[in-house]
Amino acid sequence: MTTLTFPLSRIEGHAQVEIEVQQGKVLSTRFKATELRGFDIFVQGVPAEQMPVIVPRICGVCSTAHHVAAVKTLEDAFGVTPPPLASRIRSLLLLGQLLQNQATSLFIFTMPDRVGAESLFEMDEIDQDHAVRFQISRNALKVRELGTDLITLAGGQFIHPVRAVVGGVNAGIPAERAAAMLKRLEEGLPLACELFDTYWELTQRMKDRIGSWGDDSPAYYITSTGRVKPDYNSHEIRVMAPSGECCEIFSPRSFREILEFSQSDYSYATKTSYKGGVIRANSLARANMTAHMGTKVANGYLHRLRIEFGTPAHPIMLFDLGRGIELVYAIERAMQILEQPLEGEDTEVAYTPHDGDGYGMVEAPRGPLIHHYVIEKNKIAKAEFIIPTVHNMRAIERALQVVAERYIQKDQVDLELERAVGRVVRAFDPCIACATH
Amino acid sequence: MTEEKNAPKEHSVLPRFAVLQLSGCAGCEVSLLNAHEWVEKFELTYMPLVSSAYDVPEVDILLISGGVRTDEDVYHLQSAVKKAQRVVAVGTCALSGGVANLGNRDEVRQLFLMEQHRRHVPRLLPKSRPVDDFVPIDLYLPGCPPTPELFMGALLDPQGYQASLTVCQECGRKKLKDMKPDHLLGFQKGAVDSEICLINQGYLCVGTSTRGGCRAPCTRAGHPCVGCRGPSNVLIEKGSQAWLDTIQRVFHSMTNVPEKELHDELLSPQLALFLFQFSDYDGGDRPPRPKEKVL
Ligand code: SF4
Ligand code: SF4
Repeated sequence: MTTLTFPLSRIEGHAQVEIEVQQGKVLSTRFKATELRGFDIFVQGVPAEQMPVIVPRICGVCSTAHHVAAVKTLEDAFGVTPPPLASRIRSLLLLGQLLQNQATSLFIFTMPDRVGAESLFEMDEIDQDHAVRFQISRNALKVRELGTDLITLAGGQFIHPVRAVVGGVNAGIPAERAAAMLKRLEEGLPLACELFDTYWELTQRMKDRIGSWGDDSPAYYITSTGRVKPDYNSHEIRVMAPSGECCEIFSPRSFREILEFSQSDYSYATKTSYKGGVIRANSLARANMTAHMGTKVANGYLHRLRIEFGTPAHPIMLFDLGRGIELVYAIERAMQILEQPLEGEDTEVAYTPHDGDGYGMVEAPRGPLIHHYVIEKNKIAKAEFIIPTVHNMRAIERALQVVAERYIQKDQVDLELERAVGRVVRAFDPCIACATH
Repeated sequence: MTEEKNAPKEHSVLPRFAVLQLSGCAGCEVSLLNAHEWVEKFELTYMPLVSSAYDVPEVDILLISGGVRTDEDVYHLQSAVKKAQRVVAVGTCALSGGVANLGNRDEVRQLFLMEQHRRHVPRLLPKSRPVDDFVPIDLYLPGCPPTPELFMGALLDPQGYQASLTVCQECGRKKLKDMKPDHLLGFQKGAVDSEICLINQGYLCVGTSTRGGCRAPCTRAGHPCVGCRGPSNVLIEKGSQAWLDTIQRVFHSMTNVPEKELHDELLSPQLALFLFQFSDYDGGDRPPRPKEKVL
């Protein structure tokens, strides 16, 4: 038996893929998360009110999702409902996260695969003949920066936000700052569309070269976004069967009754399944499970995706295209929110902390993120973090099995395998720091 | 546009740098990406988050983020520094373990052992350790994460970086003599006045002892400084007791908070979020970190 090991780059965190082969037969494919920091362990005993500042440090890429989830968890425990202005500002914060994340995944993580470059920055070096690429990388960083700036505007700190507080937010957004951001988003929208059009075209060419959009059998899909239009500040989780039927709706409180959790001795990350079946979370789940995008340009792209691939759509590379649709959506939706007044109303409601337990959820860029805390004497007695990437663990391994079988023949391994492994894993945009926390 | 690998690059004359990520959250890398002026001034040779290169090559500058948590971290750290002219430790995790240091408390350390039943994963060390427990460091860049401006300062001209002594001097809030709170509000309590010092409003802000240079994004946004930049030059070579005493003096003169309440809050079992960000500077078994080496 031979074990092929593929270290992974251009993903968040430390992970590798191992494929076991015997005489051309693929015995197993493993996606190994090789780091652990132990947040659920070390937050024990921490004052509960410090959680919104501590948990963003689970992941510098998904920090905003953890910040808002922590605040919502404490609000659930204390029985507090934030005022409408606070919800709007939190939505803006989550859109900043979505924009930054989808830009990072599209341009920094996966765009280089489409042109055979090692990194976005390498694309820079090839300027004269490849002026297109030069433009791509500059503009990509510009679009990504809009997300970062939106997070800073709505969240205070630039990576680990501080402005969502139990009961609301600690301040509104002054009109002149909102107007300045709005103007930049207006300028950024055509740039983002142009980039996404190029990305779609390059993806199409890559598909023509490799002969597949990424085959693997249909799976269950899981998301907490809205049914009619996207909602990232979410409250209920839905599961869709491979056929497209909604088969489960549940609140974060009952996740243990609905999902199965398992551990392995080769990875620090947990895996989940639904009724024993493989689940998929992230952009494609949302594209399959929301009726419209609710904004004009993004909805046009969703429509195009549905015409080309039907609904529900299953090919793996559509996760990447789904991210592009959300990139455009995040800009459009943030513009709508910034057009409304974001100051001059109540920013928070009073509350009294008490012992108990709480569940909080957001739809993070990678899927539904749930926090659960048990609070005793104002301190954390127990904490659980249900990370969206763990829902994709089995889906990633199954998709890897498909590419391994495709590129490993009896007497040889096609060199395309290494690239295919990278492409498959990146399509799911796993976050290892979060998955192992 | 071809999809194959392009013609070999011409040898670049730009300084070369690499980013080695140990056990951390990638927030430092994200902040570095936000500082994208370096794209024109440096050649990035290794940073797994953005590029598929699998080994640290010979470089002029090596940035190390994250704490040392597994045997694999130790291996990567020790092999990478051999290839670098200049080594910069970036972020609070690399310097003091950062939040992961909460896991070094005796009462939770046991629980980590239970994670060790897995066979085919890197082994965890008994504690999260700062990088200078293993390798010599030329420059320390504290912050959780350091701002893009600080990253550019560290890469281009650390000596010339203009910063105030403390966060407090960069914050811009007004301190009022006659507004003395009777009790502390904790960290996160609703609406905050946008002009007045957070201590006047009853928040446990540690900006008075924290190293300047970040331009106070948190306090400007109405959240108390949690000290992620570590101790200011006044406190840097001293132990955390000196820092606690200083904070206590500040609150004594600016508030009417009873001595005991303040003391309990600050010491609430080693948990004040900021305390661990100040640890490890005074050295313990090592000599203290010289302030000239800290940006
Ligand atoms: S809010 Fe904090 S940093 Fe700002 S002046 Fe007051 S003590 Fe200093
Ligand atoms: S204000 Fe304090 S907590 Fe915020 S970045 Fe600066 S040093 Fe860190």
